[in-house]
Amino acid sequence: MIILIGLNHKTAPLAVRERLFAGCEEENNLLPEFLAIEGVTEVLFLSTCNRVEVVAVIDDNPETADKLKKTLMKKGGLTGDEATCLYIYRDDEAIKHLFRVTASLDSLVMGEAQILGQVKDAYRQALAQNSSGVALNRLMHRSFRTAKRVRTETEIAANPVSVSFAAVELAKKILGTLTGKKILVVGAGEMAELTGTHLIGNKAEDITVVNRSLVQAAALAEKFHGRAAGLDTLDEALSHADIVISSTGAPSYIITESMIRRALSKRKNRLLFLIDIAVPRDIDPSVDNIENVYLYNIDNLQNIVDENIKNRRREALKAEKIVDEEVTLYSNWLKELEAVPTIISLRTKAEGIVRAEMEKAQGWMSSIENGDKEKIEVLVKGIVNKILHAPVAVMKEESAEFNSQDIVAAVRQLFRLDE
Amino acid sequence: MNFENGELIFFALAFFLAALSAAGYLFSLLVKKVTLAKISTWVLTGAFFLLTCYLIAAAINAAGFTNLGSRALFAFYAWSAGAVYLVLQFKTKTRLLGAFIGPLVLLFVIIAAGQEAGKTILPPGLQSWLATMHLALSIVGEILFVLASCAGAMFIMQNSLLKSKKLTSMSRLLPSLGELDRINHLCLLWGFPILTIGILAGAFYAAFVWKDLWTYDPKVIWSFIAWVVYGVLLHQRLALGWKGFRIAALSCVAFLLLLLTYILVKFCSTSLHNFI
Repeated sequence: MIILIGLNHKTAPLAVRERLFAGCEEENNLLPEFLAIEGVTEVLFLSTCNRVEVVAVIDDNPETADKLKKTLMKKGGLTGDEATCLYIYRDDEAIKHLFRVTASLDSLVMGEAQILGQVKDAYRQALAQNSSGVALNRLMHRSFRTAKRVRTETEIAANPVSVSFAAVELAKKILGTLTGKKILVVGAGEMAELTGTHLIGNKAEDITVVNRSLVQAAALAEKFHGRAAGLDTLDEALSHADIVISSTGAPSYIITESMIRRALSKRKNRLLFLIDIAVPRDIDPSVDNIENVYLYNIDNLQNIVDENIKNRRREALKAEKIVDEEVTLYSNWLKELEAVPTIISLRTKAEGIVRAEMEKAQGWMSSIENGDKEKIEVLVKGIVNKILHAPVAVMKEESAEFNSQDIVAAVRQLFRLDE
Repeated sequence: MNFENGELIFFALAFFLAALSAAGYLFSLLVKKVTLAKISTWVLTGAFFLLTCYLIAAAINAAGFTNLGSRALFAFYAWSAGAVYLVLQFKTKTRLLGAFIGPLVLLFVIIAAGQEAGKTILPPGLQSWLATMHLALSIVGEILFVLASCAGAMFIMQNSLLKSKKLTSMSRLLPSLGELDRINHLCLLWGFPILTIGILAGAFYAAFVWKDLWTYDPKVIWSFIAWVVYGVLLHQRLALGWKGFRIAALSCVAFLLLLLTYILVKFCSTSLHNFI
């Protein structure tokens, strides 16, 4: 059966996660140790800053699961009390949990893309160590497929859920492409830096940093490979910029309506996007009444982000349905898997008998015409297939119902397949 | 050689695809999915291709482009609208403009379908290449003007959404303000000279046939007004640096104004140009 043991940001406090993460990092290869436990046939180990999970294919012996759990606790230095942080899922529940993790439904920021890469890395590790077999290989491919379906069929990752990314999206909605657009950063705050970084990530090029302290401006400008200037050049800088990010600690408005009007006439009314993330505000709100000027303050941006988070929650419901579909598909396959090897060996055995008997009959059959010999062979094979048809069909049916074990065992015994 | 059947089949198929793409574009607006608009663009490309085939077949049947019927004329309207839109798709990725252009193409195809097949516009004595050129260029010029106004209308919608500080799915679906402004710019820039040449071709043709450059035909006056309004828009844009909201609003107003005068002219007077 498939078992999943782990903990995440919801079940374990940071201190526990840290310890487990560090313990596992130290010994960067835990797979052989898990595989060494009797009854464990396949295993995968995932460790990120928010979660640690062991996925394994094990036998039905209850001790196997227990040993697996103890090994994980020992490596992570978890005490007996902290065992409550761990969750243990089996079969369909385990499959579902893994699919939800890979599809980023279980993440701290739902819909973030990073987790998929981390799961892929974990799988690569398992492949390299030969700790993944038939069941896990298929399980992992199914989980990647689920993640892909969730990304394309729902809007779970569509809209930004951080203020700085929301600002980038707005910039694109206002200016179109950001390639070659000029950015003016007023004040050298952390938020401005973050937003600027994202804008550069979207191909905006020209960055000017204006600040009361030229030293700070220069430090930030250097990070962006941009220019630094004093606050006295603000008027001039405004007439060149397409995007202005303001985050100074000034007690009153430093960008006024008349300044923007002047700048706009110099820039021939080209569209201008103003982002005011300062509290108290840096930019006079009346600026927003000017044509072709779009002013967003921190509350406006936060509202957009809140809306997007709500939307992600709605989309998550659709995603859960996809996960359920995929779990059913995989678990059906897994159930059938139990019967498949037996069906194959049953057929092989029957074919072997036919071949042997035909050979034995070579002597007396030599007097028969060639065409008739073939007819006899077809007849014999037909009879054998007819006889095998019913047991094979029953095994398949029972395995789909998940109780093929007894029947498979009976078939193996009746036909002496294990000898 | 007779292409009459081919002509009919091409037209019918083009009609079907045009209807499909118009529906697709409008539906994409409704469910707010870009993928649907992308598919509709391909369907429209198909309709455009079939219209091209239809026009060629019609020209073969009529033995040349100079004496095409009124069905072909409206099919050409549809063709031009499709052509201009598809060319713009290369320059900007604003598939949503199709929600405006798709139905427009369909409208022209429907009008074309309503025309009597084989009815010619001009009596044989008046058919010439100059008349064809006059028609073709005026049509393309006017289509570009319509497109500039469509982009203007979308700009106003997007502008009011962004000014209200909400990033709704509608505003995600609409093209960015920068792109819409660029489309308006491109359409004015190309449309004006094309319309100018179209009108001049008509004037030369008139001078050639009637020995008179200027007739007080209501449609001629209407076209002249359109040309002037167009010129004013382009002038404000290039010389005075009007951009964004103001030019978008002005484009829309100009379009409505011209539509109104066109309807007045069409139904309240008779003219040489009664075929459109």
